[in-house]
Amino acid sequence: MKLIAKAALQAGLMVAFGLAAQAQTAPVAGETAEGSLAGKTMSFVSYGGLYQDGQIASLQEFVEKSGVTLLSDGPTEVAKIQAQVESGDVQWHVVDTGTLTPFVYCGELFQKLDFSKIDISNIPEGQVGECSVPAMNYGTVLMYRKSAYGDNPPTGWADFFDTEKFPGVRAMPGDSEPDTTLVELALLADGVPKDQLFPADVDRALNKFRGLGEDLIFWKTGAESQQMMESGEADMVIAWSGRAMGAQKNGADYAPVWQDWIVVMDQLTIPMGVKDVDAAHALINAAIGKRAQEIMTEQTSYSPIHKDAQPEVDELLAQWLTNTPEKIAVSYQQNIPYWIENYEEVETKWGEFIAGN
Amino acid sequence: MRNLFSIGRHPVWLTVPSLLLLLVALGYPLAQVVLRSFTDPAIGLDNYVWFFSRPVNLTVFWRTFEVAGWVTILCLVLGYPYAWMMTAVGPRMRLLLILCVLVPFWVSGVVRTLAWVILLQDSGVINRGLVALGFEKVRLIRTPLGVIIGMTQVLLPFMIMPLYAVMRSIDLRLVQAARSLGARPTLAFVQIYLPLSLPGVFGGAIIVFILGLGFYITPALLGGPRATMLSTLAQQQVLQQLNWGRGGAMGVILLVSTLVLLAVAARFTRRRYQITGGSK
Amino acid sequence: MNRLQRTLISLFCACVALWLVAPTLVIVPISFAEKKSLAFPPDGFSLQWYANLIQSPDWSGSILNSLKIAVIVSVVATVIGTLAAMGITRMKAGSGGVVRAILITPMIVPGVVLAIGIYAVYLDHQLVGTLTGYVLAHSMLAIPFVIIAVGANLAVFDARLETAAASLGASRLVTFFTVTLPLIGPGILSGLLFAFVTSFDEVIVALFINSPRMKTLPVQIYSSMTRDSDPTVAAVGSLMFALTTLTIAAALWIGTRRRRS
Repeated sequence: MKLIAKAALQAGLMVAFGLAAQAQTAPVAGETAEGSLAGKTMSFVSYGGLYQDGQIASLQEFVEKSGVTLLSDGPTEVAKIQAQVESGDVQWHVVDTGTLTPFVYCGELFQKLDFSKIDISNIPEGQVGECSVPAMNYGTVLMYRKSAYGDNPPTGWADFFDTEKFPGVRAMPGDSEPDTTLVELALLADGVPKDQLFPADVDRALNKFRGLGEDLIFWKTGAESQQMMESGEADMVIAWSGRAMGAQKNGADYAPVWQDWIVVMDQLTIPMGVKDVDAAHALINAAIGKRAQEIMTEQTSYSPIHKDAQPEVDELLAQWLTNTPEKIAVSYQQNIPYWIENYEEVETKWGEFIAGN
Repeated sequence: MRNLFSIGRHPVWLTVPSLLLLLVALGYPLAQVVLRSFTDPAIGLDNYVWFFSRPVNLTVFWRTFEVAGWVTILCLVLGYPYAWMMTAVGPRMRLLLILCVLVPFWVSGVVRTLAWVILLQDSGVINRGLVALGFEKVRLIRTPLGVIIGMTQVLLPFMIMPLYAVMRSIDLRLVQAARSLGARPTLAFVQIYLPLSLPGVFGGAIIVFILGLGFYITPALLGGPRATMLSTLAQQQVLQQLNWGRGGAMGVILLVSTLVLLAVAARFTRRRYQITGGSK
Repeated sequence: MNRLQRTLISLFCACVALWLVAPTLVIVPISFAEKKSLAFPPDGFSLQWYANLIQSPDWSGSILNSLKIAVIVSVVATVIGTLAAMGITRMKAGSGGVVRAILITPMIVPGVVLAIGIYAVYLDHQLVGTLTGYVLAHSMLAIPFVIIAVGANLAVFDARLETAAASLGASRLVTFFTVTLPLIGPGILSGLLFAFVTSFDEVIVALFINSPRMKTLPVQIYSSMTRDSDPTVAAVGSLMFALTTLTIAAALWIGTRRRRS
C-alpha cells in the first residue's frame, strides 16, 4: 500500500511539475516572442525558387517579431552540410532537406531536436522524426508538353521510358540527392514485379534511365526544371508539383500525369554544431505554425502539415494540392525504411549516374 | 626610414610580401590538392587509376581539349581580321572597335553567360529565329556546340588584344615595299604580314586555349551532362560528393595538362624566334 | 586590296563587333519582366527587380560585400604588387625573370584547381565565408595583373631620373614620391583597376568558399541563376553592363582628347 501511495504521489508530483513546466515554456507552433532574436543573423537553406520564396514569405512574421536578420542560401546539399560539420564552422542554421536524409544522418549531420522547444501537436501522425519535423508535403509528377502528344498523352511512368511511342526529350532531377522513388519506379517500368522490388537493384534502375541516352537531360535545381517547362525545352519533365504549378502560372503548355505521383515530405533540420540552437528551434517552430503553413501553401501549392491550416486556394492552386482524397488514392509511396537502411549504396551510385558515369 | 629604404639595395626583399602571399594562398592549397589526390581515401594511385579506367572520364577529358581547341580556332578566325581592322581604320572608328572589345572584357563572365542561356535555350531567341525562317530547331543549350559558342564570345577579347598589340607594331611599309616590288597582295600578306603577326597569333592562341581548358562558368551553365568539362567534373566530385581524392586527381590532371602545354608552347615559340633571328 | 575585299572584311568585323556586344543586351528587357521567369521575350513591364536589388538583404548584402572585398583587395594587391614589380626590375635579369614567372602563376593555374585547394585549406582553418579568406584569395589572384601593369610601365621608366634626383640631394623617400611615383602612376592606376575588377568579378573560388555569412555578388548571381530563374540577375547585369560601358567610353574619350591637346 505504502509503495503504491508513494508511487501515486510521485506520479502526481511529476504531472504537476510537468504541467507547470509546460505552462512556463511550452511553445505554440507559429508563435514568436517579441524581440527574442534582435540583432541575430540566421541562414535558412532550402531548394530555392518558388518554394524558398514561399517559405521566406511564411517566415516574414517570425522575422519581424523576433528581429532576426534572415538570409537564404542553398540549394540543400548533404556534402555541404558534411563539409561544414567536419570543419566545425557551421553556417547553415536551419536546413530543408528531402524525405530521407535526416533519418539517414540523424545524430551525425543533423541534431536531435528538442521537442520542448517545438510544438508538434498539430503535425499529422508519423511524420516527425528524431532529427526532423516535416516542412510540408508535396508530390513529384510527370509533366508532359500538351502540344507534343496531342490526343495521345502519356499516362504513367512506363511511358517516360517508352521513346518509341512517346518520342522527345525527357528531363529528370539530377541533383546530388538520390530520388529513391524514381529508382523504384524505373524497376517497375523495367518489369520487376511489385512484390519482388526489394532488395532493389539500383544498377538496373539507373541503367533503365541510361537507356534513354541522348533523349535524357537533367535539371540540377527546381528552378531549372521550371525554366525547362517555360521554355519548352523538354517534352516530358519529372518535376516537383510546386514548380510545375509555377510553370503553368507563367504560361507553360504542360499537363501533369497524376497516376502514381510520388509522395515527398520535405524535412526541417538543424545541422550538428549550430551554435545558437534555441534560435534554430524557434525558426522551425515558427515555420510549422498555422498561419505560416497557410502562406506557404498559398504561394507554392504544397500541402500544409498543420492540421488546422485553411489556406485560401484559388482554382489553379486547387488542382495542385496533393492532400485531397482523390490524389492520395493514386499516389505512390516509396519504401522509406528500406531506403534509410540502404542509403549509402543508392547515394553513391546515383552520384556517379548524374555525374555521367 | 633610412633603414627601411635601404631595402632598395636588396631588391629581392621588395618581392617578399607577394611571394609570401602566394605561398599561403596558392602554394599551400595546391600542395593540398596534390597531396589529397594521392592520399584520400587511401595512399596510392587509386584516384588516378579510377580516373583513367572510366570511359566517361576520358570522354570528358578529350572533350575538354576538343572544346578548348575549337574555341581557339574560332577566336582566331574571328579575331584576326578584327584585330587587323583595328590597325587599318581611322582613330574614331578604332575607338569604337576597341570599345566593342573592352566592354565584354570587363563585363562579368557570369552576366554574359546568363545572356547566352537566354539566347540558346531551345525556345530562345536563336531557335525562334530559325523556326521563323523555316529552319529546324537546333539543340544548342546543354550541348558542346552551345558551350563553344558561349566560350568563344567570352574569350574572344583575350585573342584580339595580343593580336592587336603585335599588329600595331608591324611596319606596313614592309608590305608596301613587297607590293611595289611586284608581289601580289595575297603573296605579300602570306610572306610578309602573316609571319610578322605570328607572335600575336601564338600569344593569343595559348592564352585562349589555356583559359578554355580550365573554363568553369560557361560550361557549367551552358553545358549539361553531355557537355561536361573537366572543371565541372572536378567541382562535382568535391562539392557534391566531398570526394577530395578524385576531385584532386582531376585537378592535378588539368594542371599538368596546362603546364605541359605551356612548356611545349614556350619551346615552340623560342625556336621560331631563333629561326627568324629573334624579334628584339 | 581592292574595294570589294575591304568591304567584305569591314562587314565581317561589324558582325564580330555585334557578336561581342549584342548578345549581352538580351538581359536588358528581361530585367523589366513582370513575371519571375527568364523566358524571352518577357511579358509586361515592371521595376520590381531593380527594387529587389536594394530591398533584399541577400542582394544588397552581396553587393556591399563585393565592393568591400574588392576595395581592400585592390589596395593590398596594388601595394605589394607594385613593390614586387619594382623589386623585379632592380634584380638581375635571370633571377628577376624567375621571381616574375612565379608571381604570375595564378594566371595560368586553372580556377577550379585553385578553388578546390583553397576550399580544403579554408575548411581546416575556418576561413570559409570570411573577409580574410576572400581578401587572401583574391589578392593572390590580382597580383599578376598589378605586376604586369606596373612592370610594363617600369620597363619604359628611365632609372637615370632617380639617380639624378638622388645626386641633387633628394632622399630616397622624396625621390620615390616626387620622381618615381608620378612616372609609374598610370601603371599603378591600371594595376589598381585590374585588381579591383579581378576581385569584383571572381566567381570560381568564391563559389567554393562562400557561406551565408559572407557572399559575393558573382556568387549571388550564379546561385540565383541556377536556383531561382530570378530576373534580378538581369537587373544587376544590366546595371553592371551600363556602368562598365560608360566608364570605358569615358576613359577612352578622355584619353584621346588628352592626346590631341
